[in-house]
Amino acid sequence: MSMIDLSIGRDLEAQLEQVRRLGREHLRPLGIEADSRREPVPPDHPFFALAWRMGLGQPLGVEERPAGGPRTGARRGVVLAEEMSYWDRGMSVAMPGLGLGGPPLLSMGTPEQKERFLAPFRDRERPHWAAFGMTEPGAGSDVAAIQTTAVRTGDDWVLNGAKTFISNSMRADWIVVWATVDRGAGRAGHRAFVVERGTPGLEDMRYEHKMGLIAYESSSFTLRDCRVPAANLLGGERYYAERAGFKGAMRSFNATRPAIAAMAVGIARAAYDAARDFARTHYALDRPIPRYQRVRDKLARMARKIEAGRLLCWRAAYLADLEQPNEIEASMAKAFAAGMAQEATGLAVEILGDAGVTRDAYVEKLYRDVKAMDIVEGTGQIQRIVIARRLVGLPR
Amino acid sequence: MFTLALSDEERLIQDTARRFARDRLLPGLRAHERARGVPRELVGEFAALGLTAGEDLGAFGRVLVLEELAAVDAGAALALDAGGLAQPLLDAAGLGAARGRGVVIEDVEGRFHARDGRLAGEHPWVPADEIAVAVVLHPERALIVHEGWRLTPIAACGLEAAGASRLALDDAPIAATLEDPRALRRARAGIRTAVGALLVGAARGTHEYAMRYATERTAFGRPIAHHQALAFLIADLATAVDIARLAVWRAAAALDRGESAEWEGASALAEAAEQALFVGPNAVQILGGHGFMKDHPVEKSMRDIRTLAQMAGGRDEAELAAAALVPERELGFAGRGDRCP
Repeated sequence: MSMIDLSIGRDLEAQLEQVRRLGREHLRPLGIEADSRREPVPPDHPFFALAWRMGLGQPLGVEERPAGGPRTGARRGVVLAEEMSYWDRGMSVAMPGLGLGGPPLLSMGTPEQKERFLAPFRDRERPHWAAFGMTEPGAGSDVAAIQTTAVRTGDDWVLNGAKTFISNSMRADWIVVWATVDRGAGRAGHRAFVVERGTPGLEDMRYEHKMGLIAYESSSFTLRDCRVPAANLLGGERYYAERAGFKGAMRSFNATRPAIAAMAVGIARAAYDAARDFARTHYALDRPIPRYQRVRDKLARMARKIEAGRLLCWRAAYLADLEQPNEIEASMAKAFAAGMAQEATGLAVEILGDAGVTRDAYVEKLYRDVKAMDIVEGTGQIQRIVIARRLVGLPR
Repeated sequence: MFTLALSDEERLIQDTARRFARDRLLPGLRAHERARGVPRELVGEFAALGLTAGEDLGAFGRVLVLEELAAVDAGAALALDAGGLAQPLLDAAGLGAARGRGVVIEDVEGRFHARDGRLAGEHPWVPADEIAVAVVLHPERALIVHEGWRLTPIAACGLEAAGASRLALDDAPIAATLEDPRALRRARAGIRTAVGALLVGAARGTHEYAMRYATERTAFGRPIAHHQALAFLIADLATAVDIARLAVWRAAAALDRGESAEWEGASALAEAAEQALFVGPNAVQILGGHGFMKDHPVEKSMRDIRTLAQMAGGRDEAELAAAALVPERELGFAGRGDRCP
């Protein structure tokens, strides 16, 4: 009997049942509603308060080291992320929680910072969000090229620059903002700051209008002489003296990449179910009609590729739980799952025929939603660069 | 919670097969090809390792061995593998280990006819020059024969070290008929999974070779692997190999859990064939003109992969089998806590 075990276990299955109920009753209807209204679900929507009280936040495979036994957080993370995203990927990002702000705080933050910035998230009365601000209008994939500056002035740091496409930043208690102390120094000049809501100079918050994933807000903002206390420099001065600044950012990507890939798998799975249910009711799949055979072939291809993507995500998460290097595996999962999910949603549209391109068709929404998965958290091209660096030493 | 680690025993199986392939198959790669087989002493040596189809390795142990052998020479892997693909059917029919090479014919086009306990028909290609058992697979049954064939040697696209023949059965006496639907499903899944493992091995071997070459060969002042067009291709080929392997591992694990694994086996072969057919020609492409020459093994792997992907009904039958199951196929996690979703 093989050691390979691909079961998820009864405990996680029970937790998934909770997510399924949440998904059926809330995530999908709210995601569809936001999509048709073309507006994100507002932070004061009663659903967020309900979910927060239930202890449900964004599943991104982030956990602090357990006292004993193997970590399971990354594995639980990919399974839960897939399931949440299956119901609605936009809503899964809109969920309260640390979001992408979590990994840098947990991996780089001092004990004092963790205590201070995690404290509000222990309050279950009112939902809380955090955010992660790296991307700038002129720096996307090339994160080393960020232009936001940080200058030490007395007990403060003064930040100047602009950030864009930052998820949940308008509703966040705090944002991990990346800036540079020396534009010529590349990654070595990077510093991460926890910028709290209401800090003077954190200005011009505005929604960006997206093709899909409408349910969560993507926003842009400006930092204009924004003074941040020195105590909010993530990790403290010593952290950067060891020149670990950029690695900190990259580590946070590595922790989340398998879960982001799993979200693409979840969208593809939703497309599969929608297309299969449509086909069952509209087509006589068991009849030897060429069109129906094509439909079956497409469904089989979707199912096979979805499972392949899932296995890549699981492998990357498994390695993360073992705290083994997973950079290649995480990038493979992300690159493949995002491409696969685009193909799957496209096939779903084709299976529905002309009905597939109408706004009434759920698969039409999925087709728009899924495109972002090949862009966020490192485009497919960036993933291939990461893989090739490791495999054949592709230079920077 | 799912785990993807090999046990110590599985690693030992893998290492043993890997060493044998490297030390005993690689030096004779082209010689075995020309000879249409591997020397008898190698067959004996490999059998003594206890890694052939008749041994109790489980489906998972089998795929580990087949991948390692095929990473060097998929044709030799078939030549060494005794009953090979026929073995799952022999096991299901209670006939024990094959006494020599076995071949399986998925009779897609209905070329074989059974009458009065005898089987007649012709098949254009089997990957063997000598056999001890042949199995003809029909949708509802498997017909096993131990004699009564004519094998006419032919030239094939690849897998030369396994041999290649046209097979004719002249009213061959049927030794056993397997009709139990579940046993047939499992045997078919086992066969497809094994072919998938061979495809994974061949794809991995040729990708590793091409990747090494790409870091050594320079063009325009740097290793060709450092031109993004090839760097991206190499990344995609590596991903393709891993996707195929995971699909094969999943099918093997399902078989070892005693499931019918019909979906998993069909998916494994379909996936492995698609990915390997992507890897094979692209590995040649990475070597450019050198890839087209017999000086490098990538041309052989490309031909081997093309040939392997026809076995056991090939990619078409695997995809059709999966498509037939798909209207009921659930991909969600509900009710699947203790087995693979």
